[in-house]
Amino acid sequence: MIAMDILVGFILLIGVLVCAAFLMAGILWQWIATGSPGLHYTLAGTNLFHFWVTELRQLAAGELRPTLLINLGIALLMMTPYVRVLASTVYFALAERNLKYTLFTGFVLAVLTYSLFLR
Amino acid sequence: MPSFSLTLLTSIAAGFVGAMSGMGGGVVLIPVLTFLGLPIKKAIAISIVSIIATSSGSASAYVRDHLTNLKVGMFLEMFTIVGALVGAGVTVAVPQRWLFLAFGLVLMASWVVLLDRQKEEWRPPPAQDAFSRWLELEGSYPDQALGRTVDYKATHAAAGASMMFGAGFIAGLLGIGAGALKVLIHDLVMGLPPKVSTTTSNLIIGVTALAGTSVFLAHGLIDPGLAAPIILGVLGGSFLGTRLLVRLRNEAVRRFFLLVLAVLGLEMLWRGLRGGA
Repeated sequence: MIAMDILVGFILLIGVLVCAAFLMAGILWQWIATGSPGLHYTLAGTNLFHFWVTELRQLAAGELRPTLLINLGIALLMMTPYVRVLASTVYFALAERNLKYTLFTGFVLAVLTYSLFLR
Repeated sequence: MPSFSLTLLTSIAAGFVGAMSGMGGGVVLIPVLTFLGLPIKKAIAISIVSIIATSSGSASAYVRDHLTNLKVGMFLEMFTIVGALVGAGVTVAVPQRWLFLAFGLVLMASWVVLLDRQKEEWRPPPAQDAFSRWLELEGSYPDQALGRTVDYKATHAAAGASMMFGAGFIAGLLGIGAGALKVLIHDLVMGLPPKVSTTTSNLIIGVTALAGTSVFLAHGLIDPGLAAPIILGVLGGSFLGTRLLVRLRNEAVRRFFLLVLAVLGLEMLWRGLRGGA
């Protein structure tokens, strides 16, 4: 379980730090560009996977803007616990070969995947 | 819409008080955001996103220090995430005033629990039931105060799990971590040592908040421009709060927080009774 502790801790830490960096970059950019750090825009109802596709498409088209950085930060934040559960499932299945906990984490993964596809 | 600097300051304060009291930032953040004019459903949605950040941040440190019991966490998560999905679904559907009333009631209930809390020495539960043994709910953690490794076995997994559904429901409904409730279940029902119960509940809070967030995202309740300074503020505030916790006397923190809880709880109840305006 020690290896798993390190893996889970690492995923959570990286997720939060990268998210914070994106949010800060978005706010600073907005601040420098407009003289005010505040942004207000709403997101139409969406799901995480659709959200990712839209943002990555904008990124690929070179439409980098403060709002895109902030959206990416929030999407990365939402991915953090998801990736943690995904990694735990793989770890229980392949490293620990613990069927019971592979099923438990697999259930959590399935429910989260379903809810993140919700719209 | 509240101004940027006011939003940021509020969030830092909420994260700070939340970390010092161990209740999480949401219980302070949501009432204050509604006072600043944000509709309560949006405040709930933004708070639950920020909870993913604070819980992941602190959970990462606890997990690496081997304090968290991952098996207990992953077993109980199955129940909290379903509870959170149901709770967030209810929030989306009900009139605002019910949310004010529910929030006020949960705050007042936390007030009673906090007022009554006695510092007792942890005693291991007398026996582990067969289901908890089958679930492999046991472990050990390094206790720095005692200077040795403490072994423990959790019990009453079935009762704990069904109560966790309720904790998840409240978390999704009100956009809070409901950490105090989870710790209570771990401590009193499952017999986990306090260090293990607080750190394990922290791990569970992150995925539970994600389940709630997915519902609010689907209903367009998340305003990313407002969420960004709030996430950063709550993260910063809770980081400071955790650092300061070691230095401040516990009783002073508890008294201060009792006062804050009472004021916010009564205010939310009052607004609910007046019609949720």
